[in-house]
Amino acid sequence: MKRNLRFYFALFFAKGTALVLKLIGRKGTSMPGSWAIILCPDFLGRMPRPKRVVGITGTNGKTTVANLVEDVLEDNGYSFVCNRSGTNVATGVASALIANSTLFGKPKKDLAVFELDERSSPHILPYLKPELLLVTNIFRDSYKRNAHMEFILDILNSYIPPETRLVLNADDLLCAGIRPENERMTFGIEHSAEDKTECHNIVRDVACCPHCGGELTWDVVRYHHIGRAHCESCGFSSPPPDYLATRIDARDQRLVVNCRGESGDFHLPDQHTINVYNVLSAIAFLSEFGLGREAIAASMAKLSISQTRYLEEEVHGRKVILHLAKGQNPIACSRAFENIREYPGKKAAILFLDDYFDAAHSVENTAWLYDTDFEFLNDESVTELVVTGARHWDVYTRLLLAGVSPEKIRHRREVENAASLLEGKEAASVFILYDVYTIGLAERTKEKVKELLRQ
Amino acid sequence: MKLELLFPEVCNLFGDVANMRYLRACLPQAEFVETPLREDPCFAREAVDLLYLGPMTEHTQEQVIEKLRPYRQRLKQMMDGGAAMLFTGNAMEVLGSYIENEDGSRIEGLGLLPLHAKRDMLHRHNSIFVGDFEGKEFVAFKSQFTMAWPEEGAQGLFPRKKGVGLHKQCAYEGLRRGNFFGTYLLGPILLMAPDFTRALLDAMGAEDAPLALEAEVRAGQKARLQDFYANEHDIWK
Repeated sequence: MKRNLRFYFALFFAKGTALVLKLIGRKGTSMPGSWAIILCPDFLGRMPRPKRVVGITGTNGKTTVANLVEDVLEDNGYSFVCNRSGTNVATGVASALIANSTLFGKPKKDLAVFELDERSSPHILPYLKPELLLVTNIFRDSYKRNAHMEFILDILNSYIPPETRLVLNADDLLCAGIRPENERMTFGIEHSAEDKTECHNIVRDVACCPHCGGELTWDVVRYHHIGRAHCESCGFSSPPPDYLATRIDARDQRLVVNCRGESGDFHLPDQHTINVYNVLSAIAFLSEFGLGREAIAASMAKLSISQTRYLEEEVHGRKVILHLAKGQNPIACSRAFENIREYPGKKAAILFLDDYFDAAHSVENTAWLYDTDFEFLNDESVTELVVTGARHWDVYTRLLLAGVSPEKIRHRREVENAASLLEGKEAASVFILYDVYTIGLAERTKEKVKELLRQ
Repeated sequence: MKLELLFPEVCNLFGDVANMRYLRACLPQAEFVETPLREDPCFAREAVDLLYLGPMTEHTQEQVIEKLRPYRQRLKQMMDGGAAMLFTGNAMEVLGSYIENEDGSRIEGLGLLPLHAKRDMLHRHNSIFVGDFEGKEFVAFKSQFTMAWPEEGAQGLFPRKKGVGLHKQCAYEGLRRGNFFGTYLLGPILLMAPDFTRALLDAMGAEDAPLALEAEVRAGQKARLQDFYANEHDIWK
């Protein structure tokens, strides 16, 4: 699209806004991009793009994977535009491009790496036209915004440009079927003795064969619909992964990835299945980007999963663990609950599950609680649960329906002193589950729990 | 007592299958039959005490309509005979006259309910609903792509106090026909509106069954109402 007067007015206004924000000390805001798109709705289509643009999208894990990818690229000397400090919607992408452009919009960098919100694809992908796009997975997410997985798949299938090369999750039948006409590479994890063949989650969004509607036989179930399946009726099966993770060594934190007859040994910063997929997808994406195996491995060895998502601290031989559990996202919370159950020893957990904004100004839609596997917390190793927030009665009721004994649960509305409800006598570890908007509350609660454990 | 869940492997969006999980807690002795989409429904062979269908994707909705079309007469007979039925989310549209797409094309429903729906896939409607059931106030939620228009002879289920009914000007949410109850309200509704749940159990012939976790469910209901009225200014601004 050609640049016109409207575009230049929007660009100059956005740059002026960015300058003012910088002068008053505000960072990481998407306000310049918001103004640019308000003033020129097709701004992203008119804004000159860097020579190479790559993207990372999907329901879960995209921030973690984007951070890994960006860290590896940076460690290898790449200079690029990204939206790490902003938002992953169109305004965040526009802000990043504006911030990294000359007065007249010419890109200062040759490469752009963007984390992209899958719901925002119609406003981003046709303009950005990424040469390479990673889709981590497709799940149900916020009902209000994302509706259901079929809606998101329709969006991706409609708006991913035909020339975009895809990196897809072979162990996710929803993800693996995206735009079959596009060039693609896939990633997946090899079968292991610990794999299940039955789903223990409430939600499984692949109910039948995507080709004939017949019954699927699940050869491997990792979580929800992530796994491998085949159809006895028509012969359909999960696609073979081009990048296959083998020999996952949780103790030594190593991972071997096979591709095109060669194998590479990589550092595995976190052994949770979800993070094995995150690391594997980053390796596949970086390889398809053109980075050599040795270069990826050398940089990966220096990395960890972001501490804003998972952090362990030790106090007198006991652990306090901050664990992100995005509210309104039943899959993310179910993963967190399963991680609690699987963590060694006896555990207590403080749950901050309310949506921060709804709790302050509205009444949160509680439907998502019933797609979330609270049943994982009904385990003898989970000795105590503290629930606070505006919807504490709803979470309490949900826990009771999951079979958790009422004696294990304490709940109240006030959130700031949740730690005071904790007895913490039996538990070797205390988990604090929080949403992206309640990191501050989680941090303050962590300090109070540490104080309690010291006593 | 036998309850049939139609197609729970695909008609399970928005946490609504928990309506049946809650009924399992209320009716621990009852038999719950889960019928997959590829099998013939139980209600076609024998009487069931409750027939439940939950929310589904738009593509699935079209499959479900065709799946149930051969059983139209049986469903009509059940509705006329006072069988208890609960359809939540967009499930109610399956029984309506038609569903209209944005381009004006229509998907013919089973024609058992005086209602038609219009899809708008570009604008998802999300809102909080305050209504009452037989004078008892409750809060529930709407999250949907369609609005529905009742036709002649329609009887509303929940009078609207605040929020949006079947469509933006409609004075009520949901439809009732005898012991058929259909609503778009999510939450799940049986945990949001215990007085409605009581009436549903009575309609099923389970008058003696107590509401499970009644004190906790009612405490949640009360807290939601208090928060709604405390935040009303913010909610509607």
